Amino acid sequence: MNTNNNNIFTRIVKIAVIPVGTFLIVFLLCSLKGVKLFETTGNWILFFRAAASVMLVTFALSLNLNSGRFDFSIGSVALLSSVISASICNSAGLSTPVMLAVSMLAGTLFGMLSGAVYVIVKLPPIIVSLGVALFYEGLAFSITKGYGVSFVANKELTSFPSVVNYLLVIGIGLIVFIFLFDYTQFGYDYKALMSGQKVAVNTGIREIPNAIGCYTISGALMGVVGFISATNTGTIQMALNFGSIGTMFTAFLPMFIGGFIGRFCNEKIGYLLGAVTTAFISLMYARLNVDSSIQQIVTALILVGFLIYLNNENKILELVTLKNYINRRKNQ
Amino acid sequence: MKSYQIKKSLMNLTPLFGLAALFALFLLIGSSQDINIGYGLKSIINQSVVVAVVATGAIFIYTLGSFDISLGASVAVSALIGGIVYNRTESILAMLLVCIGIAVFIGLFNSVLASVFNLPVFVTTIAMLSVLNALVLVLIKVNGTGSEIAVPAAAVRPLNNTPFKIMVLAVFFFLSLFIFSFTGVGRMQKFQGGNPICAKLSGISEKKMAVIAFAMSGIGVGLGAFLSIIYAPTLTRNTASSVGMDVIIAIVFGGMPVSGGARSRIYAAVIGAFSMTLLSQIMVMFNLNSGIGQMVKAAIFILVVFLATSDQRSRMLPR
Repeated sequence: MNTNNNNIFTRIVKIAVIPVGTFLIVFLLCSLKGVKLFETTGNWILFFRAAASVMLVTFALSLNLNSGRFDFSIGSVALLSSVISASICNSAGLSTPVMLAVSMLAGTLFGMLSGAVYVIVKLPPIIVSLGVALFYEGLAFSITKGYGVSFVANKELTSFPSVVNYLLVIGIGLIVFIFLFDYTQFGYDYKALMSGQKVAVNTGIREIPNAIGCYTISGALMGVVGFISATNTGTIQMALNFGSIGTMFTAFLPMFIGGFIGRFCNEKIGYLLGAVTTAFISLMYARLNVDSSIQQIVTALILVGFLIYLNNENKILELVTLKNYINRRKNQ
Repeated sequence: MKSYQIKKSLMNLTPLFGLAALFALFLLIGSSQDINIGYGLKSIINQSVVVAVVATGAIFIYTLGSFDISLGASVAVSALIGGIVYNRTESILAMLLVCIGIAVFIGLFNSVLASVFNLPVFVTTIAMLSVLNALVLVLIKVNGTGSEIAVPAAAVRPLNNTPFKIMVLAVFFFLSLFIFSFTGVGRMQKFQGGNPICAKLSGISEKKMAVIAFAMSGIGVGLGAFLSIIYAPTLTRNTASSVGMDVIIAIVFGGMPVSGGARSRIYAAVIGAFSMTLLSQIMVMFNLNSGIGQMVKAAIFILVVFLATSDQRSRMLPR
């Protein structure tokens, strides 16, 4: 019983160490500068928006990347879905929930289309995603004639940002994602294909519908990301020549953190905690007015540092715990 | 059997046919619309040469089955530091050497970081992309006017001509072709990319191959940075901003498999770079808006790659 409790305690510590550790460091840095991390409602909104948005991008990126499908087009799906939903809802005077539904539906369709192109042309996904990203960026640009979309004055559509709404997005997103991938036949097939494509196909698992399903879900998630981004500022700026791929890069750090935490709990909860960790960092940048160039460097260094740890974990632990030295002493 | 081989050879030549078809289309539309063809070609060379040079060096990385997304940012940083050095020394040679030196250093840093710490190369280059983009902002802020670093146009004007640019591309292309096709290094790179386990068991050093690939890519990036300064001596945060992705598109468009290996071709970079620029130019001639032009480009890109690789389909979906 005691061992069991110890195991649970150790697991909780390992799950919480990164987000809690990051919070403490961020809190300390802000305190040293005499700044409160969460001073206004705006700070809370910023934190939960970052957590919600990054969590969804991480889900969207990881669900294809874990299967060896690198997808450059997720940012362009978010862009195009938000352009379509904002244009329709702003001109027709529709409500925020309708805009969310339209954005998600558009994302679902564009994701499905990406998947269909991939399974039809049977080219490496990285190539298909490059073509699709260019196509969707071009389409978004053409729809708005290059001017983008602005609905700053539309109080209804810009009323979405609030802590409760973002918490709902996080909660529903997490539950649906866990349900789809851990409790349905689709999810079981996905895992089988992920860990052994040839064996899974030979045992009769239908790879093509599963791949299209993954792209479709990824598209739906990015539709919501596009909606969150658009309703935050009330403007959507156009991107050509792969200007939309920056969205994808925000998900790498939380994805690796999530992968690490996923060893001790459900991987999707790991991704959420990874997103929460990066949200703490984003909030610190905002509160301390950190220059954007410094932000980029610090984030990149954290990513590299974390990857160095992940890929050399045993060596680092041996070094830190002086395991080899102690063993040698014992042998002597 | 013979007809299969002919079909395979034709498939391999699809990118070249594509380039020829685009060139013919450009001439046809150009003459029907009374456009100055000579000026148009000059413009195409100016736009293509930087991507062609950088992509030629990058072929070495792609052959290993690796991927570097930070090449565009590396061109920008090398060009900015080259520009700073020129403004201090007023020596074009120093500027050229610094451009190449910095680019090779960045490439080697990437490869050493990846091999010493066992990191996936692609992720290392993603992190490097962020660092280099930030460095661009810092360099412009510290050494420039805050928004740009300008090299005097008069200093680079004598070199800003088509023959010089073609000469730079030709010299680097033939050097790369020699190393890639006529030395053991090229063969080992293809072997490593095609089957890393067999290559390792045959005694080929993975780390050594990565260092050589990133060094060659660095030389291409350095030359690309130098040519960028010559073409547009006022360097801003947007300098070479699209080069990184253009390189990937050009390499794939030119018929290079993203998985690397034995089917890698050094000429894919040059064919791809010129094809993409010709395609963009044709879109401009049709007076298409930028968005529609990009959509057409994307569709043609997928179609050409699809046709060029139609003999390589497997039963399962590629990853």
